Parts: sequence; structure tokens; C-alpha cells
Amino acid sequence: MISFAVTEDQEMVRETVRKFATEEIRPRLRELERDGVPGELRDRFHALGLSLVDVPEALGGLGLDTFTACLIHEELALGDPGAAVALWAPGFVPAAAMELGSPEQAARLLAPFAASGRRRGAVAWSEPGRGPEAGFATRARREGDGWVVDGDKVHVVHGDGADTLIAFAQVDDGWGGVGAFVVEGGTPGAREAWLGLETVPAAPIALRGCRAERLAGAGAVLPAVRRMFARIGLMTAARQVGLARASYEHALAFTQDRVAFGKPVAHFQAVAFMLAEMHMDVESARWMVWRAAAEFDAGAAGALDSVARAAVHANDAAWRVADNGVQLLGGAGFIQDYPVEKWLRDTKALALMGQTSEGHRLAVGAAAAGQPDAFGPAVPSPWIQPVVT
Amino acid sequence: MPSFDLTNEQQQLKGFLHEFAKGVLRPISLEADRIGHMPEAFLAKVQMLAAAMPSAAGSGAIPEEYGGEEAKDKKRPRQASRTALVGAEELSWGDASMLLNLPGPGLGGPPVRFMGTPEQRRRFFGVFKTPGLHYGAYGLTEPGAGSDVSAIKTSCRREDGHWVLNGRKCYITNGARADWVVIFATMDPTLGRAGHRAFVVEKGTPGFSVGKIEDKMGLRASETAELVLEDCRVPHENLLGGDEHYRAKEGFMGAMKTFDASRPTVGIMAVGIARAAFEYTRDFVKENYDLARPIPRYVQLADTLAEDARLLEAARLMCWRAAWMSDEGLPNAKEASMAKAYAARAAMRICSDAVQILGAHGLENHRFVEKWYRDIKVFDIFEGTAQIQRIVISKRILREPPNF
Repeated sequence: MISFAVTEDQEMVRETVRKFATEEIRPRLRELERDGVPGELRDRFHALGLSLVDVPEALGGLGLDTFTACLIHEELALGDPGAAVALWAPGFVPAAAMELGSPEQAARLLAPFAASGRRRGAVAWSEPGRGPEAGFATRARREGDGWVVDGDKVHVVHGDGADTLIAFAQVDDGWGGVGAFVVEGGTPGAREAWLGLETVPAAPIALRGCRAERLAGAGAVLPAVRRMFARIGLMTAARQVGLARASYEHALAFTQDRVAFGKPVAHFQAVAFMLAEMHMDVESARWMVWRAAAEFDAGAAGALDSVARAAVHANDAAWRVADNGVQLLGGAGFIQDYPVEKWLRDTKALALMGQTSEGHRLAVGAAAAGQPDAFGPAVPSPWIQPVVT
Repeated sequence: MPSFDLTNEQQQLKGFLHEFAKGVLRPISLEADRIGHMPEAFLAKVQMLAAAMPSAAGSGAIPEEYGGEEAKDKKRPRQASRTALVGAEELSWGDASMLLNLPGPGLGGPPVRFMGTPEQRRRFFGVFKTPGLHYGAYGLTEPGAGSDVSAIKTSCRREDGHWVLNGRKCYITNGARADWVVIFATMDPTLGRAGHRAFVVEKGTPGFSVGKIEDKMGLRASETAELVLEDCRVPHENLLGGDEHYRAKEGFMGAMKTFDASRPTVGIMAVGIARAAFEYTRDFVKENYDLARPIPRYVQLADTLAEDARLLEAARLMCWRAAWMSDEGLPNAKEASMAKAYAARAAMRICSDAVQILGAHGLENHRFVEKWYRDIKVFDIFEGTAQIQRIVISKRILREPPNF
């Protein structure tokens, strides 16, 4: 049955997170951007159970579905998208562990994250330079009963000092030869200074003869990688919706308060129509995310295409809304006394997290034309467009 | 828990109407467009459809208590609006003009339902349960009053138990063939909305006649008529809602409520046409181009297809959302306007892309896409232009605090 009604439980979770986001994150937004997220806030976040929302209870998570995880990340991003990413200390590790690891590996990798909210995880994907056309320049070779990984990774969230690092490397040439490895002893480079999401520490990592354990889940690697990116894509898209809401609500309040030529500027049709467009962008993006998450949870055929469409939609919508958010505040929008300029920066960084809109679109277009492999595998390629992971 | 799955009944309806759209509507779609009306043979098929599946023909437009769907089971959640969308998408995927040609109260349904007395509802919806093909229509627009509905000039005055109506209505869908038309008129233009009255004017009423039938850019097989009222005497019993209604409320609100109900349906019709164009284009690309060949333009084609797939999905969800609210009994004026505004714009883009991707083939009038390109434009105009939708939306969002 077509329904847009969230359950009472979901509503409760949402309200809890909204309260946390608006009371404990939003007022500290500039401080968090400047200084990063303090340990006590991580502890609060962890105490609320928000670190491992969509991880099964048996693995120490809340065992909620991806849909509910999206609701949570939307609300968190309403507080501040940068904080939403930074507070999510395990990062992409749960998605990678669940999709690419064996059950035993997933349990072992995730247990420490369930125990502490301060433990940070990182997944290293992108590489500097052009690299090979298919796959990575980073290579893994067998040594004794383990593996050794060599290469350079960039744009890694929590790459400055992750407690758990998963890196992708070539076991063999080409996309088919990609493997995922839990790596020890990577050397972080200088923290990367970014346009947006400055709240989140990200860094390059040099891997020099690092001992590693290969993630050995059943099944082919690339489909598992696609599902990993789909999980990340859903969370990111949900955050874009939260970001758009934040920007829209701020602009709505501002334009109703600000008077020019004798009336609130919101009452000028040019402004009112912009607000209407923003509202439509927020809603359409949200329903796209909801539907994609529901399909992903149900394991529906075509769910990954749905996720891709939702991600593109949320990226586009959030950028437009954030841009209009700054525009409607006029000069004030550009000033850091107001939060909207931050969200216009953050939305761009979010849009480069996981797969890019361009990558999503080619995958969806090729699939629509019945030629899903026409443009190579539907995973982000460092050779074409590096992404944030 | 939010869900985007159709019920079993909706699945069945969708399957049935898809076959009907594919097997009956599509084959006559181009000819109907060329001759500018529905072929006679189509009427016979419609009779068949109506007999086979009564709820399909009315697409949920007849309220339950007068023989519409879901009349039997009061305990199940109301699904009528959502079901109507599922049906309307399939039918307009086949041919949107034909959908408008299906018998039923049309846009006249909602005002009778929302404003009419029980007696009036019985009378005017009762018509559709009698044998033959019956239509209702909705007469609001005038040569001098479109978006600004409050500016209507058609006059009504009371005269010994009757009302006398004078004026002209234009762009009325099924206006000429309708059994009855809901006509909005004013007692005194200086009273504004408070002076508005709505009447059900029946075919054959003295002084009520049909002016010209319009030639249009698209939806050419759908009848668009001008209606003329010259000292047209309408019985007092046909004043919609009776005197009582106008003491409590404004007639204008009745006119507007119609749109809360109809706009999501109009939006989903645009989605149906856009889906037809998208699928045609997708198949064309699939059959004609090997995307893996290193031709840069192929990347652009795939990219455009993906954009269209996304807009299609977003538009459908906006419509479903508004319909769900309607079924839940939630006020949905803003969402209905958003659905319609969003879907129309998305659909125009998709139909334009379809012609573009096919290249000059897209112009050929045996290929459908040029027809859909013409059909879709009016979706950004009728039932409230794109601009009026944005006025409705922005008024609402400035009045109500955001509630996501």
C-alpha cells in the first residue's frame, strides 16, 4: 500500500534525533567547524545508539533498517551536515564490513565500535594521480598467511588517525581483481583542507608494506562494492535532504522577518516563488530517498538504480536549495554570522561522498537502455573522478 | 511504515488498464489526434470496459456512497485517491485524450461531492448509473477570467424560484457532450468571492448552448468547448449546496476544493505521458545505439535518459504523496499544487528530451513522441498554470510553519 506514514517508533527516534540536532549541534555549529567534534559529543551520540543504527543487533548495532537510518541522518544533518558526518565515527566501515566481509570478520571488526563511540573507522578508496583505467594503483600481495598492501590513498574521512582502516587494492589487474583489506600501520598525511565539511577530519594515507587481512565475504566483489556505496549513498542523500531543509527553513524565517519597501521580502512574488521551488526540492528529494531506502531494505530488483536516482536528485536539490538559501539572505547569506553559507559549501562536499552524480547518471542511463555495462562497472573510478569516502 | 508498493487490487487494476491502454488506446491514438475526436469504435470499447470494471471508468471520481469503488468495505483504509492515480497513469500512458474521453463526472465530480446536498449528489451522480455514456463537466474559466477566478463575469440573478444565468464559459473539457456542467457565476461582481454561486446546469436547459469547439496544440481528441448562457433559466434545486451553503461558506472555496482533489490526478496524467515518451525513447536507444562504442554523444544520451528516469520517479512520488494525504483526510492543497506543478514541468522536459534523443525521427508524426510533445504542454496550463501553483504553494508555506 502506498503510504507516507512513518511508524510511531520511527517518529519517536526522529524526534529524539531532531532534539539532539537542534539543541546540541546547531548552536555549536561554528565551534564544531573550527575545532572538530569533541569526545563528549561523540559519547552522547553513541549513548543515543546512533553510531551503528543499521547494523544488526547481533553485531552490536540497533538493528534498524536502512530506511530508519535515513530518517536519522536527515535529522542529524538538519542540525549540521558536517557534524552529522563527523559524529558518525565508524564511517563507512560498517557498510564495508557487512557487504564485503565474512560474518566472522564483520562481527570482529564491528565489536569495538559498539563498545566505544570514540573509535573511528575509515575506508580508503580514491588515489592521487591518474592511476590505471580500471581499478587502483594500490596493490596487495600475499605474504605468509596474510597480505601486504602498498599504495597511496586520498580523501579519506577519519584518515588522520582511524582506529580501523579498510583499503581497496588490486590482487589482480582490472576491476575484477579488486579486493578489500583491513590494513594496519598506514601513515596519515597532512589533514586535507576542504571547501566544505570542515568539521570532518580527512587526510591522505600512505600504505607502505602494510600488513593486511583480506575481507573474504561470499560472492563477487564488485556487486558487494556497489551495495556498500548504495548504503553510503542513501545516508549521504538523506543528509542532503536534512541540509536542504535547514537552509530552506532558515531562508523562510529570514525572508518573513526582513522588511523592504514596506513589507516582508517573502511577500514579494519573486522571493515567494523561490521559496516554493525550495520547498518542492526538499520534498521531492525526501520522497526519492524514502522510496530508494524502502526498496533497498526490501532487496527489490532495481533498488541500486533507485538509490542512484535518489542520490542524484538529493545532490541537485540540496545544491539548489542551499544556493537559494544564501541568495535569499542577500549579503547576510555570505557572512559567517549566519549558517547558510556553510551549507552551500557542505552540500558540494556531500555530493562528492561515495559515487558522484555523473557516475550515478551514467549507470542509470546505461541500465535504462538495457546495456548496464556500457560505461564500465557502476562504481566510482579514481581514474575519472576521485570521490570522498 | 512508509511503503511504495501497490495493493493487490491496484496491481490488478494497473495490469488490466495497461492492457487496455496498449491494446485499445494506443492503436487509435494517432488517428484520434488527426481527426480531432474519438473514433466511434472507441465508444464500443469503452462500454465494454465499463461493464468489465466499473471502478476503472470513473477512476475513483464517483464517491463511494454513490456506487464508486470501495462502497462495500468501510473498515479498510480509504484508497480511492491513490487507486485513481494508479489508473490514470496507465490510461494516459495509453492516450491522455482518451482518458479525458472516458465517461464520468470529470472535474464536475468534486464540486458536486464537496458542495452538493445529499439530494443533489443522488441526482447528479445517479446519472452515471443509468445505461449509456454520461459525462459531467466543470465551467469556471471565461474569456476574461482564467487564473483570477474571482473575476468571473457570468451573472446569476434570482427570479421566481429560478436563477437566470448570462455569460460565456470557455475551454470546458467535454462541455458539449456533458449531461450537466457545474457553472460558476456571480450575483454581483463587486461582492467578490462572496457573490459567487455554483449551479449544475443540465443539457437541454433553455438558454444553454454550445459555442465553438476548439482546435488545440495537443490533446486534440479531447473535446474542449465554449458554452453560452443566454437568459438561461436554472431551477433553484440546481443551486449547488442550496442557500445554506452560501450562508456558511464562500462559493469560491468549493471551486478551489475541486482542485485539491484533481491536481494530483492531472499531475499523474502528465507522468503517464512522460513515461510513455521515456519508454519509447529508452527502447529506441536500446535498439539503435551500442552505447559501449566510444562515441561521446552516447554518453550524453545515456545521461539524458538517466535524468529523465529520475524526474519521472520524483514527479510520481509527489503525486502519490498528495493523493495519500487526500485518502488520509489531511488537508493537501499545498501538496496537490506541488504535485501538479512538479509533474508538469518534469513531464515537459522528458517529452522534449524524447524528441531530442530521437533526432529528426522525433518529428515524424507516426512515432508518437511528437504527439506527446504537443499533448504535454497543456499540463503546465490547465488546472491552474505553473504560476498559479506557485502562488498557492508560497501562500501556504508563508502561512503555516514548516512541518517536515
